[in-house]
Amino acid sequence: MRTLTRNHRIAEFRRITQDPVLFVGLVIVVLFVIITVISPIYAMVEESLTEKGRELFERYLTSPVYQRIFRNTMEMGLLVAAIGTALGFVLAYVQVKVAVPFKRLIHFIALVPIVSPPFAVATAALLLFGRNGMITYDIFGVRYDIYGLDGLTLVLTLSYFPVAYLNLRGMIQALDPALDEAATNLGASKWRVFRTVTVPMLIPGIAGSFLLLFVEAIADLGNPLVLGGNYEVLATRIYVSIVGLYDTTAAAVLSVVLLVPSLLVFIVQRYWISRTSVVSITGKPSGTPQVINHPLVVWPLFAAVMAIVLLIVIIYGVIFAGAFTKILNVNNELTLDHFDFVINGYGSEAMKDTTQLSAIATPIAGVLGMLIAFLVARKKWTGRHALDFATMLGIAVPGTILGIGYLLVFNGPQQITLPVIGTVTVIPKLTGGRAVFGGAAAIVLVYIVRSVPAALRAGVAALSQIDPAIEEASVSLGADNFGTFRRITLPLIRPAFLSGLIYAFARSMTTISAIIFLTTPRTKIMTHQILNEVENGRYGNAFAYCVILIVIVLAAIGILAVAVGTTTGAEKTTIEGAA
Amino acid sequence: MAETQAGTLVLEEVSKVFSQRGGQGDVRAVDRVSLTIEPGEFVTLLGPSGCGKTTTLRLISGFEMPTSGRILLDGKDISHRPPNKRDMAMVFQSYALFPHMTVFNNIAYGLRVQHTPRHDVQQRVERVLELMGLSGMGNRRPHELSGGQQQRVALARSLVVEPRVLLFDEPLSNLDAKLRVQMRSEIRNLQRRLHITSVYVTHDQVEAMALSDRIVVMNNGQIEQIGTPEEIYRWPVSRFVADFIGRANFLSATVQTSREKEATVTLLGRTVTVSASALLPPGTIGTAVLRPEALLLEDDPTLEQVVVEQTMYLGSTVEYIVRLGEQRLIVVDADPRPGRVFREGATAGLSFEPETVHLLAEPAI
Amino acid sequence: MKKLSVLVLWALTATLAIPLAAVTPAAPVLAQDDTLTVLCTPQEDWCVAMTQAFQEETGIETSYVRMSSGESLARIRATQDDPEFSVWWGGPADAFIAAYEEGLIEPYEPELASVLPENAVGEDHSWHGIYMGAIGFCSNVELLEELGVEPPTSWEDLLNPALKSNIAMAHPATSGTAFTTFWTIVTLKADELEAEEEGAGYDEEGMPTEAAIDAAFEYFAQLHQNILQYTRSGAAPGQMAATGQIAVAIIFAHDCVKLQVEGFEGIVVNTFPEEGTGYEIGGMALIKNAPEPEAAKRWIEWALTPEAQAIGATVNSLQLPTNPDTPISELSPRLEDVNLVDYNFIAAGLHRTEIVERFDAEIAPQPTD
Repeated sequence: MRTLTRNHRIAEFRRITQDPVLFVGLVIVVLFVIITVISPIYAMVEESLTEKGRELFERYLTSPVYQRIFRNTMEMGLLVAAIGTALGFVLAYVQVKVAVPFKRLIHFIALVPIVSPPFAVATAALLLFGRNGMITYDIFGVRYDIYGLDGLTLVLTLSYFPVAYLNLRGMIQALDPALDEAATNLGASKWRVFRTVTVPMLIPGIAGSFLLLFVEAIADLGNPLVLGGNYEVLATRIYVSIVGLYDTTAAAVLSVVLLVPSLLVFIVQRYWISRTSVVSITGKPSGTPQVINHPLVVWPLFAAVMAIVLLIVIIYGVIFAGAFTKILNVNNELTLDHFDFVINGYGSEAMKDTTQLSAIATPIAGVLGMLIAFLVARKKWTGRHALDFATMLGIAVPGTILGIGYLLVFNGPQQITLPVIGTVTVIPKLTGGRAVFGGAAAIVLVYIVRSVPAALRAGVAALSQIDPAIEEASVSLGADNFGTFRRITLPLIRPAFLSGLIYAFARSMTTISAIIFLTTPRTKIMTHQILNEVENGRYGNAFAYCVILIVIVLAAIGILAVAVGTTTGAEKTTIEGAA
Repeated sequence: MAETQAGTLVLEEVSKVFSQRGGQGDVRAVDRVSLTIEPGEFVTLLGPSGCGKTTTLRLISGFEMPTSGRILLDGKDISHRPPNKRDMAMVFQSYALFPHMTVFNNIAYGLRVQHTPRHDVQQRVERVLELMGLSGMGNRRPHELSGGQQQRVALARSLVVEPRVLLFDEPLSNLDAKLRVQMRSEIRNLQRRLHITSVYVTHDQVEAMALSDRIVVMNNGQIEQIGTPEEIYRWPVSRFVADFIGRANFLSATVQTSREKEATVTLLGRTVTVSASALLPPGTIGTAVLRPEALLLEDDPTLEQVVVEQTMYLGSTVEYIVRLGEQRLIVVDADPRPGRVFREGATAGLSFEPETVHLLAEPAI
Repeated sequence: MKKLSVLVLWALTATLAIPLAAVTPAAPVLAQDDTLTVLCTPQEDWCVAMTQAFQEETGIETSYVRMSSGESLARIRATQDDPEFSVWWGGPADAFIAAYEEGLIEPYEPELASVLPENAVGEDHSWHGIYMGAIGFCSNVELLEELGVEPPTSWEDLLNPALKSNIAMAHPATSGTAFTTFWTIVTLKADELEAEEEGAGYDEEGMPTEAAIDAAFEYFAQLHQNILQYTRSGAAPGQMAATGQIAVAIIFAHDCVKLQVEGFEGIVVNTFPEEGTGYEIGGMALIKNAPEPEAAKRWIEWALTPEAQAIGATVNSLQLPTNPDTPISELSPRLEDVNLVDYNFIAAGLHRTEIVERFDAEIAPQPTD
């Protein structure tokens, strides 16, 4: 039986090689993932296990100071995850199930933080709620110390709750209203239905959001840099190890400490939550969802939701106001100086570089994501689960870890020695100012690696909605795999492709932790510049960068939507249907 | 429509093993299946779900590859040839129309993939649209069509490329009963006209009998029997086949003498000569297959007496369920004359027509 | 459909282009440098003004990256096999001394070296001073008033529990300002110990003793209780004081004045510790194995000219220029007015790495009560 299985694998492999395009695609994808995802993580783990690394491990694990930092990180992660998931749940539940006004507006505003650059929320929060805050001090006269855990929880929650919101909204919408009806039919009150039917059905979604937020929070670097105060977390320690001491071993050791909980969460999420999900997404909901309209439920919830919405509006209001005033709250004279700095001044280089690199990374990430989705979801071969897992690692590991891994792997040329030919450079030096393209290649690779997972998931989800027989029909009519992918699959998953592209661009434009160690004299990155501006208190410049960044992202979304198209052509058009 | 190439399809000892995750052992979905399909022949793979018929079709189409054995098309081994290079076209249960393309583009797809000149594409698609009664629908989208129309498009899409073999994967199971009957005869007529070798998968025995030149009955990944519809019905080789094709009563019969394809047996107190699927030594107890219409109820006390448990008057026929000792039998009276209908609870004499009885080698249960 | 194909094609070409392009070697370094990459440590606007002026003057395409002093040292160390930068401009001299000690600097003697004060020329002309400035306390007047605390005039004042979470300084690992602050305390502690017992504060070579360094660490451990945050860049705490996030920032006095000039007049006030404060001599050096050595040398020559040294004042960087021919802005805090400690740059440079690592391990990550 064993040999049979092996022969089977060989035959399976031979089969894939028979389709050259598919084979080349597979080889490119696998090599890409090994080089850009696996090898940096491996190098980082390897570095942490050197003799010096092992000593550091021992020192950190026994030092009360580092135990405290680890506890801080976990505490912050748990708080953000709990509050963010709760916020997301309330908004999602109200959005789907409660009769409140301005639903579309609430939805739109809840999504704003997604396209927001790092530091924007933290800096605005500082100006609003800090010691000299426009709200805390100017209105309430309180000298509130926002630095540390409470400030971090506030800004991280605001930054990441939209993820939970989107996640849970989708699940609540997919809940079969017939279940509610059945429960109500059996005499349950609405509260009882909520408690005994709605919430238990959503437990996987809630747990999933919780874990996702937890990982995002512990991996976040930008906010603790601005608002951390004396509340040290692992991400900031890693940062100082690199920028201050350039101690890659210490950074690798701390990264491994951060990597463990992140990976655990990822694995739990992947193998436990996705299995236990009880929400049926395939079946079309029957019946109309019951909307709650009891005033005692509606208005308190509405008030809570509006409070969140108002907070987001105020924060982004500060960002916009700060971009157009000399020094917000000190000298409120209107000015365009900050924009002049970003667009024409020395800030423009970062803007151009970042946009350009993101624009290069976006289509590659989008196509790679769809290609991997196709290979993973549609082709039967032994390594497909491994490929899926490895690709997802690109986002599952904290960005700082990837950045350090890149420094370790790509700081010199990767060479192999071949007989006769001699030493051949397989991959040239990619990081640092003297690397190819001034280090831009490494940044583009990181952008891609961080973006592909989302495109992959969108692609897999879209593919699962498409009857595999449609693709088989194409093959059966003589098209090869590539032709099928191009003519049938890609057009049908066009909306997923589009969302993959949009995500890739937005993510690339706003990422900081993964590229902060990779910027070079020749390649300046906007988020890194924003950090400089924020750190040196030039909030106006920072806010102008943020505004421009948001405008670029929104414009790109528009351009991509037009270029790719938002529909597949398979949608039912009511006009024709009526005719 | 141009004459298609020969299309002799041979399966040689083809097996397909699916290895399961978690070490639960392997599943042998198709087990040493050998089969020869002649050019232009319409062969149906029939069996209950999980019998391996769909897997066999997918092996032929190339969507699965055999674990062992060979598949030959016109003498060439195509076992490991990718599905797009097999010169076959498949009609799917779900139709699998390309939802983002018009009917015309759906049908033209295969031709365009082959880089057929634009003019030819236009002509051939229009011809096939007409052939399928779809004229004027070229610009519609699949979702604007009825189920029957969609199935016609799917068929047209496969026919237009003039494949050597047409494959059907339960193409009619999504249609309502009436439409199914209609499409059935359309497929039959077209296939006869175009003379394309066809392999058809279904679990519906009536559909299989209506369409096929030959039926391949499958069970547990193996072929139980190959034969024309009549052969399968009249001379099933096993209890499984007899039970799956139509309805059957099984009664013990003691073999007296046995010859090739024939045996003299004692059945219900009578000694009769019936067809047999195997040679059986005298004295063995075999199973006699008696179709419900082969059994007769008569008001004759000399016959084996049965109790009528249920009477269903269906107009053209009357169906009875009768008890013979411990066994329940189905009897269909195809010619129920007034006054000859037995009431529930009545006793009746059971007789049969020997020429329709078939003897199986398996012992009765 | 068409649009989609175009996009796919674009993506595929891009995918293929990366490995292809990666194979082509980096452009060879031209003998005649037409570019220059500056590692710039002072505040960003000064970096901009300098590089632009140099570019206009020479036609050499000049770019820069701003990094704090400690960051710069770490980066140069990490990339020493294939340096990214050719010239390192700005930041306290002790970082340059440490760098020269580690073999990261190529000595180069510019013509104008002779006009510089003696202490502004590094050993073997490894580095040259470009500006000077003293550490001070930059305080938010309003916050201090509320706390009932006078603007601090001694290092002891900073330990006042009323200032809890109200002081900020940079992290010595990244910032030269913070390291200067640290070494100032080392010097003061050495003086104290020396006053008690000869040889306790300084060794035979005039270097502060380990005991002095330990005493400084004790001081910073106490100060840590009042620190809100260690920033990356040296001048950043000033902004925090100006925007009312903290009451006192430990920064260079000229950075505090810069804030006053740029909109925070009356909001922040600059004071000096009476017992003595440290000062920096901002250094400049040619990086070893620099990719653009000729352009870098040209920069070094140019940066010592009065014209180049006068640029700082135009962007309110009010450090004192080292070239005596440079006109001094009226706003610049004068070193003559301040009680300066006897700051031993060489000793500071030699102890730099050890202190920074110890600070990062022992002080910075400690929780506060």
